[in-house]
Order: sequence, then structure tokens, then C-alpha cells
Amino acid sequence: MNLLAVEMKNVNVYIGDRHILKDVTLKIFNNTVFVIMGPSGSGKTTLLRVINRLIDLIEGARVEGYVKVLGFDIMKSDPYELRKNIGMVFQIPNPFPHLTIYENIAIAARINGVAKDKKELDNIVRWALEKAMLWDEVRNRLHDYPHQLSGGQRQRLCLARALAMKPKLLLLDEPTANIDPVNARKLEEAIVSLKDEVTVIMVTHSPYQAARVADYVAVFYDGKVVEQGPAQQLFLRPSTEITQKLLRGEI
Amino acid sequence: MYNWRKLIDKLFTYIVIAVSIVAISPVIHLIITVLLNGTMVIVKTGINFFISLPPTPFSKDFGGIAPAIVGSLLMTFISLPITIVLGLFAAILTTEFPKNTISIVIDTIAKSLASIPTIAVSMIVYTIIVVPMKSFSALAGSIALTIVSLPYAYTYFSTTLRSVPFTYREAAFSIAMSRWSTVLKILIPVARRGIATAILMTLARILGETAALLFTAGRFRNGVTISPLAPADAIPLLIFDFVLSPYEIWRQVAWGASALLLLSYMIIFFAVKFLVKEVKL
Amino acid sequence: MLSRKDKLFFMSLLPLSLSLLAILIISIAVIGIRSIDSISFFGPKLYTMNVWDPEAEVYGLLAPIAGSIVTSVIAILTASFFSIPLTITIAEYLKGSTKNIVSSIVELMGGLPTIIYAVWASQYLVLFLKQYVMDPLHSYLSFIPLFSCKPVTGFSVLAAGISIGISITPYVTALILEAYQSIPSTYREACYGIGATRYESIKILLSLARPAIIAALVLGFARSLGETTIAVTTIGNSMNLNLCLFSPSYTVSALIASQFANAYLYPYAESVLYAGMLILVIISILLSLYGSTTIIRWRSRVIV
Repeated sequence: MNLLAVEMKNVNVYIGDRHILKDVTLKIFNNTVFVIMGPSGSGKTTLLRVINRLIDLIEGARVEGYVKVLGFDIMKSDPYELRKNIGMVFQIPNPFPHLTIYENIAIAARINGVAKDKKELDNIVRWALEKAMLWDEVRNRLHDYPHQLSGGQRQRLCLARALAMKPKLLLLDEPTANIDPVNARKLEEAIVSLKDEVTVIMVTHSPYQAARVADYVAVFYDGKVVEQGPAQQLFLRPSTEITQKLLRGEI
Repeated sequence: MYNWRKLIDKLFTYIVIAVSIVAISPVIHLIITVLLNGTMVIVKTGINFFISLPPTPFSKDFGGIAPAIVGSLLMTFISLPITIVLGLFAAILTTEFPKNTISIVIDTIAKSLASIPTIAVSMIVYTIIVVPMKSFSALAGSIALTIVSLPYAYTYFSTTLRSVPFTYREAAFSIAMSRWSTVLKILIPVARRGIATAILMTLARILGETAALLFTAGRFRNGVTISPLAPADAIPLLIFDFVLSPYEIWRQVAWGASALLLLSYMIIFFAVKFLVKEVKL
Repeated sequence: MLSRKDKLFFMSLLPLSLSLLAILIISIAVIGIRSIDSISFFGPKLYTMNVWDPEAEVYGLLAPIAGSIVTSVIAILTASFFSIPLTITIAEYLKGSTKNIVSSIVELMGGLPTIIYAVWASQYLVLFLKQYVMDPLHSYLSFIPLFSCKPVTGFSVLAAGISIGISITPYVTALILEAYQSIPSTYREACYGIGATRYESIKILLSLARPAIIAALVLGFARSLGETTIAVTTIGNSMNLNLCLFSPSYTVSALIASQFANAYLYPYAESVLYAGMLILVIISILLSLYGSTTIIRWRSRVIV
């Protein structure tokens, strides 16, 4: 069993002429919560999209270096197969507006062969909503549409949708950036509780959030990994000036 | 000096608004006169207007425009689906691969194709379809209609698909959907109102097109045919022939047919307006 | 970075998408090939003489070509006279539901089948123009060559030009309106910031939009070149070539509409008509491409 969920060595990413990720080297272990911290524009979002090859969708994007995800060299694998094992939650909640709450989750499960008949589907939907801490709020309105939910509920719906794939890896791109604090806390609780089943990689620009949920942290600045290591250690004794500035809220 | 500037400002406002009113009045006059003249004819003939054959030049009875109605419906029935499929495929291609050379080429071609006069399309289809077939036909008419409306269908579809927020495509890929699944299960349903609008607009264009049918459909009005390989009539074609004729009875029929065409167009137009209002994304 | 599945997806879309390309190539090929006969036989005289005599096998397309150009010029003048004020009214003076209603009326006008315009123009507008525009102009200003002939029926170059102009007004308005409304609001704010009145600000914004407005007029010109049904019903259909705007004449498309059906009876007739269309198509496509690229370039300059 591979202990590493993600391994990156000397990864450089260009979008057009801009050099977004500079010589990034990272190791992310299974069943941990790995948080990527840094100010906006430091390349964190791009990093996530390299992992599940969503960066393919961006015009003029080029990835160089070695990236191994869940044991696969992603440049040599079929991205569609790869993505079956990776779930993602985006900065702005994006549940499919034309599908009901139930269908949003069901479609993810069906496509990935996780459930085969109605009964299995029902179970998976319930399981995913429970893990995302949304079940109690929507159990009686599974056939409502996402626009009838609040922003925070929509984001948890997106989490449930990602979980319905039964992924091994979960990518979260500043998931609480556009949500109220109460819902944000709920989301964080849900994330931490998932550690046993998935490996979580989360991007945030709030050091406080990182402190609340992280096992490991990597600090990003200007496309480079400035520092990485166990969360406790990094917060207690940051070894670089940039990390210190970040923790003090100066950048 | 300040008052002088204010005066010019006011004067300008009045002139501009006055000219705008003049700009709109022809169309208002048009709608009123066509509907008045035409419905008079239709009401006088009643249901026969839709099921009888056109009158002979000196008859007293208005007859009807059944061949034209059937012909228009037949040719629309053939060309609309073809136009939609071809336009949609091309729009999907250029939306999914926007920087690809072929996509840029298709965009340019759509613009060029739209600037070819529709009568030229009629001439071309005449040369390559009617002459070899040795006969005018509804099929030739449908092909001409498809060629004329394809660039517009493509443009409507591509505008609609491009307006689907990028984040839904990302979400679909993140749950490992394949390209075709994403297009069929996510992009098109999310854009469904725009697509319905596009289809209706294409329909309106096909129904109203005249020049493309001049040398292709055949203007057969002595009976009603449903075979695509036989010559056919169409509502705009009938109007074109009858309005220029020296016979009063035919000109009246032309008014009736115009009113029918105008009403159909306005129904489609309001359906589109109604659809567009309902977007809630 | 396309994976194998992406490439398959692309390939599955390609055949039907290329239909547009195929149609364009076939169209231009047919027009070109069918014109060759008459152009090689008659030479440039085909375009510089003015005669239509299939029996004698003599052809010259000067009147229709001139007619097409003159009617399109009149059309575009008419359209600009109406579109620019209409654009200003919609963009600056109307709000809320009135704005919606007026915009919708313009949209309705834009998609109206041209045959309906043709019917209305031939039965109402021509007479109106004869009575209130052509007769007065002829009585008082007949020393000007443009107005020197007596309008007999009203079917004329002027009538056709104005009728076509009215029908392309919504198209041109939509283009200019889109351009005008896409000017970033910072420019408008700057105008009011220097104390300009509304009239003065509009003048400034219009001059900012000038390349786009010109492009819109060029595109409108290209469209009116190809207009058939309105032309046939209002121009009078005669191979007349003179300076007077009140006399009947021909446009290339009107000529084709009247003569193409019988053209197969004479050896060169069809080819001559194709030759006329060839010119029209070339001019239309060139103008359209010029117009749309100008608007795109203008947009990228202005919307910084």
C-alpha cells in the first residue's frame, strides 16, 4: 500500500507566458488533512487543478515535472479514469441547477458505478449527506432544487456530491470563502471527520482555518513552496519569514 | 452661455426622440395594415382559407392556400431538424475547443455564409439538385432553407452554449463525467432555454424565407402534395408571386397569406420573449 | 494537453461540423464555375454595358449592378438616419419597461420576414413616397439631375432604397446599440465629470464608437446588396440606367429573380446571371469580413 496519496517533484506550471508554479516539490500522506496556505495569487488553486488534471480545461496550460497521484503518474494516465478517485469542492458552490438535491448526488454515484439500483442509490445519497452534515436539514426535501438552499447548504451539497463518488482523495478549493461563519464551521467539522476514509487536500488563505483542521501544512508564496511540515510544528515554530508574516496576517 | 448649451441639449433630445418615433412607425403601420387587410380576407373565406386551393385569376371566391401551408410545413419539417443538428454539432465543437484552428475557421465561415444573398443559394441548389433531378421539389427547397438558416442556427447555439458558466463544466469533470456526458447531461440542460430560443428563431427564419425557394421548390399550387420529391408551394413564395400579379383576387389572397405569416412570426416571437424571461441561473 | 478520449470526442464532432465549410466551398465553386462561360465569352463588356437581350444574345449588367449599389447606398443612408437616433433613445433616454418594449419592437422588426416588408412597401410605401416625396421634389428641384425625371408609378431606385433601408434599420440598430452599450461606463462618467451636457456626452461617446458605427453601416450595406424580395417589388424591374432616382431600374438580385427561371432557354443567360451574382457575393463577403473584424478590433481596443 502506497503511503503517499500525492507526490510532486520539480513541478512547473505555465499558463500562456505566465509561470504559475515554480519548482514545486510536495509529499502528501494518505488519510491526512493537508492544507495549502498562502495569499491570493500564489498558485494554490492551480496546484489543486494539476492533481485532478482539471488544468486540462485551461487554455495554454503546460505542466512539467513529476506528479504521482494515488500511485499513478498523471501525465501517463487517462484523466477521466483518474478523476473517478478524486472528488473536488470549489470556491463558489456549483451544484447543478437543473437537478434536484437527490439527483445532484445520485449522478455522481451512478457515473462512477458506485451504486447500481435504486436502493443502493438511496443509501449512498443518505450516506453522503450525513457525512457532509446536511442530511438532517434536507431529509424531507430531497427533491427540491439547489436554488432553494442557502449558500452554506449548497456548499455542503457539493461536498456530498464529491463524496458520493467514494473517492480516495478530496480536493477543497477555499470551500468556506463564500460562506457564513456558522456554515463554515459545520463544513470544517465535516472535513475533519472524513479523514479516515479519504485524504483531504484543502486550500485556504486563512491561517486560522488551517490551524483548526490541518495535520500537515504547506505554505505557498509566488508559486513556490516556502515551507512544509506537520501543522503543529509549523505554527509553533515557523522557520521562514514569509510563514511568520502569513501567520501574523501581514500578507 | 450656460442657457444656450442647455437649450441645445433640450432641442437635441426632442429631435432624437422624434426621429426615433418616425423610425418605429413604419413597422407599426405595417403590422396594422397587414393584419387588417389580411384578416378581412381570412374571415371572409373562413376555414376554406386553410384547406382549399388558390383561386383562378378571375374567380369571385378567394379559395385558399392549402398547398402553400402544406408545402411550408413539409419543408420546415425536413429542414429544421437537419439545421439544428448540424448547427448544434458545430456549436458544441467550437465551444469545447475554442482555441482550435478548426473552431476559428468555422466561426469565420458562419459569418461568410450568412452574407451570401439568399437568392444565390437558390441558384446554387437549382444547379446542383434541381437540374440533375430534372424537377423542382420540396427536397430542393428544404436543402436551400437549411443552407440559408445554418449560419444563424450555429451562431445562436454557440452564443447560448458559451454562456453556460465555466464552473459547471469544472464540476462535471470533477465527478469524472466523460466529454459527451458533460455536453448531454449538464451543458445542454443548463442551457435549455437558450437552446429552445435558438430553435424557435431558426424556425422563424425558415418559415419566412422567400428568395431561397424561388428556383427550388417549384410553386406547385394546383394540388396538395406531401411527397418531398415533388414540386411544392410555400407561403412566402405564394405571397411573392401573387402580390406582383395583375389580378386583384390574387393580391387579396396575398394579403391573407401575409397576415397568416405575420401572425405565425409574432407567435414565435412572443414565445421566445416568454422563454427568455424565465431564466433563473 | 489532450488525452485520447478528448481526441475521440473531437473526432466525433468533426464530420457534421465541417458541413458549414463544405457548403461554403460548394457554393462559391458553383457560382464561380457557372460564371466562367459568360465572362470568358463576353469579357469585361459584360459589366460595363447595359442591355438584356437573350434573343440576340447580347448582355450587359451595368444597370443592375449600378442599381444594387445605389439602392444600397440609399438604404444605408436611410438606416443610419433612423438607427442612430433610435440607439441614442434606447441607450440614453429610456428606462425600465419602456426600454424593454421599444427594444422588443426593434427586435420584432429585425426578424420580420422580408416578404412582408415587400408586400407592405409595394402596396403602401411606394405610393406614399411618390405623393409626398418624389412629386414635390420633382416639381421644385427638377434641375438637379437626381430628381429630373417625372415619377410615373413611384417604383424606383429611391423607393427600393428607402424600403430596404427601413428593413435593415433594426439590424444596424442592434449592432450600434451593442457597441454603444459596451463602452465602459468610466468614459461616460468622465464626460459628466467635466461638466458636459447630455448632448455633449453623447457626441463624445458616439465619436468613441465611430469605428463600430461605420462597421455596422458596412455590414448593413452588405446585407442590402443581397436583398431580393423587397427590391423586386419596389424597383420597377427595367433595364434603365440613368441618374434620376425616381426612375425604375434593376438590382442584380431583382434581375435574377425575374429572369433566372427562363434563363435555361438561352445559351448564355444563366451564366450571365451567375456572373452578376459572383460580383455581388465577392463584395458581400469582403465587406462582411471587414465589418466584423473591425468591430472585434474596436471592441478589444475600447474595452480595456
